[in-house]
Amino acid sequence: MIFASKAFYLFLPTVLVLYHLLRRRQHKYGVLLAASWLFYAWLSPQYLWVIVLCTVIDYAAGLRIERAGSERTRKGWLGVSVAANLGLLFAFKYTTFVYDNAVSLAQLFGAPLHDRTWEILLPIGISFHTFQGISYTVDVYRRQIQAVRSFLDYALFVSFFPQLAAGPIVRAVEFLPQMATPPRVTARQVADGLHFFIIGLVKKLLLADQLDQLFVGPVFADPAAFDPAAHRWACVAWAAQIYCDFSGYSDMAIGCAKWFGFELPRNFLFPYLATSISDFWRRWHLSLSTWLRDYVYFPLGGSRGSAARTYANLIVVFIMCGLWHGATWAWFVYGLYNGLLMSLHRIWDRALTGIPVADAIRSTRAWALVAWAGTFLAVAAGLILIRMPSWEAGGIMAHSLLGFDLLTGWSRMIPVWVPVLLVVIAAGHLVGGWRERVGRTFDVPAPIRAAAYVVAVVLLVTLSPGIGKTFIYLAF
Amino acid sequence: MNTTTAPPKTAPPETVPRFLPADTPVLGRVTVVIAPQPVELPVGLVRRLWRFADRNRTVVLFALFLVIADVAVGWFSPVWARHSPDDYAARVAGCAREPRDLVFVGGSPVSEGIDPDKIAGVSWAGKTLDSTYALGLSGGTTSDFYHAVLHGCPTPPRILVYGITASDLNDSRHEPHGPYSLMTWGDLGRWVRLRPESAEWVTRHFALSRVGQASNLFRYRHGIRMWATTSAEQQLPGSCPEAIREADELRERSAALENGNGYAPARGYSVGRYDVAKAAGVQPTELPYLRKFRTGSHLKYLHKLIDWCEAGGTKLLLIDMPVTADLEAIYPSEFTEFRLRLAEVEQSRPIRVIRATRESVGLTDAHYADLIHMNRDGAVIFSRWMRETLAKMGR
Repeated sequence: MIFASKAFYLFLPTVLVLYHLLRRRQHKYGVLLAASWLFYAWLSPQYLWVIVLCTVIDYAAGLRIERAGSERTRKGWLGVSVAANLGLLFAFKYTTFVYDNAVSLAQLFGAPLHDRTWEILLPIGISFHTFQGISYTVDVYRRQIQAVRSFLDYALFVSFFPQLAAGPIVRAVEFLPQMATPPRVTARQVADGLHFFIIGLVKKLLLADQLDQLFVGPVFADPAAFDPAAHRWACVAWAAQIYCDFSGYSDMAIGCAKWFGFELPRNFLFPYLATSISDFWRRWHLSLSTWLRDYVYFPLGGSRGSAARTYANLIVVFIMCGLWHGATWAWFVYGLYNGLLMSLHRIWDRALTGIPVADAIRSTRAWALVAWAGTFLAVAAGLILIRMPSWEAGGIMAHSLLGFDLLTGWSRMIPVWVPVLLVVIAAGHLVGGWRERVGRTFDVPAPIRAAAYVVAVVLLVTLSPGIGKTFIYLAF
Repeated sequence: MNTTTAPPKTAPPETVPRFLPADTPVLGRVTVVIAPQPVELPVGLVRRLWRFADRNRTVVLFALFLVIADVAVGWFSPVWARHSPDDYAARVAGCAREPRDLVFVGGSPVSEGIDPDKIAGVSWAGKTLDSTYALGLSGGTTSDFYHAVLHGCPTPPRILVYGITASDLNDSRHEPHGPYSLMTWGDLGRWVRLRPESAEWVTRHFALSRVGQASNLFRYRHGIRMWATTSAEQQLPGSCPEAIREADELRERSAALENGNGYAPARGYSVGRYDVAKAAGVQPTELPYLRKFRTGSHLKYLHKLIDWCEAGGTKLLLIDMPVTADLEAIYPSEFTEFRLRLAEVEQSRPIRVIRATRESVGLTDAHYADLIHMNRDGAVIFSRWMRETLAKMGR
């Protein structure tokens, strides 16, 4: 089941009513867990065992780690948990990639290995719940949290349906304390939940899907049929689409969770306002970037070693980040590209910080604008890698975006609604970023808020494309 | 809870327990007087609801505004319906506008291939058939056509011509438009009794249709979209090139259905040429409506239609609609089974089946838009042939 599908609009109210009608903690969480597993099984019933197996292993490993008498036993159980999660993730996600490359390599040397005639269907949300499981057992190992005694609590933490399919990747330390007693839903949470849910739907159905259908899909499918100006607009529109698609899902997840009284962490902080690549990764898919920081980058040594070691760590982490998204060479290159950008930015930053003139220039608004433009261009160029249908097509798009072609701003091939939608997204970003900076939240009077939500619903019902497209991050 | 503090009038007794060590001096004393809790009176339902609404002001106002918006959309329903008519409902309403002498019913071969104006005025048993209507429902099945006739002909017509083809009887087909636009609760009950194997499907779609129709916003969403497209195009010409084509066609169709005789051919079929498409190398290899062909269940509604005609004194004629030779070549066994069923019905019930072959009508690939739909030229030829056939039969 996915958000924004008809089945979900029957499922969600039913679960909400049941959950709030029940009084006892066990019953409430039991219903929520059953609903979450139903949510999971709706799309891939044959894979329900995957999440159940991961849950059982991590739950048992957590308890064993805590009760173990020796460091060796603790490490052993941690190894079991990490190996089980990564093993399942690897088996489902990377087997075909490894096999295909083995075939290519073998054919290069004349070995008789045949092309693949089989396919492995990816269990929904496997990249998310395996990382969640690993973070739990590592935190128990590090004695940062206590192991969960109740299997029901742990299973619900892993399977909680709003964040099950496409994140955010929730840490045990963020979620489990909320589960101590079933949280009472406040009026504020109900209203904010509505806000997040509608905003998420608008981002997904009115902005992302429209951009894809109107322009991004056709241009990326056949770039040769469009001119360089259309390529440039398509790259910008694609950057906007993927943001709206993914952050839309996260917003809906956050909104849904609020209706059950739970708070999920923010996953996006207006990433296209970033003025450097490191700033961008502090705003984009926060739950993944902080996960990689805490469980990969820091254990590798982080920035404590030599400069070369730090850059190597950064590149390793970002290659992992790329491959986490998808098992293709394009994703590998995307990760490498971001790792290199992060390293270059670190070199640049280290070189200039402390030089009075450079510091003065870098603190001006004009510089902030230049830095923002450069960052956005670098990010948009990187995003071509993950949409291009072929390396040739990607080359054409990158060539146009980076201005190697004739620099024209507009062409008749660009539908007039594309800039309109982009202006809406940019305005949302600017207003949101400003509110974030000044620390003001939803302070609009209730009647205006309510009226705005109704307008949004009217637009959603009438203008969203008839055929619902699936969320991009569900594929990860 | 109210608390007040006051200076001590007298020293407290020494029995009061102290929480400080014994040698800590007492520097001052306060007396805390706790007012008794007010007795909670039972709160009425209205007051509780008011409190809830006050606490959840945004959500309550959202629900209220949504209802108001929905009602407002409902007030303008003719505007939305004009921009995106419910094809089935509009045809049924059009047919029911006046008592009809002659009604044609069937699927898209009828809606594209029969122009009632070309047939109106034909004489049948000494009386002219002046008021004619084509109740052609694209994508329908025999079950849908029965419901269309039931609601489109409150006064039974003198003649009912059912232009039938193989896909009408294919039990693998379930078309949700029928339960959505044609059926009542009574029809649902009849379907469940008559076709229990599809009871779950029809109940689900009927329920979904009723839920969908409960909201004006949802019901007229496409009409609003087409209206918005037209308005945007007027302000910004060229802003919605594809959508405006659809909106134009729908408005044209709406006008034709509102005032016409049910003949409102789709633009694409009207001008299409199957022979030209074939010459250009475009040759379809299948018709999805004939996939997994099996008969028996929809056929029950053909018998219901015959019963209805008998009860109302309506003469029922079945016409085996002419399709392209290619379609019959792709699905030979399906057409054999279909014609076998027709023959069985003809033998068992007092009806007449007219076999309208391509040769007898004078149709070639040039008169079709695709495998099954006649173009405008084909419709002219077929309608003339129909008129002659009825005239002969009516003598």
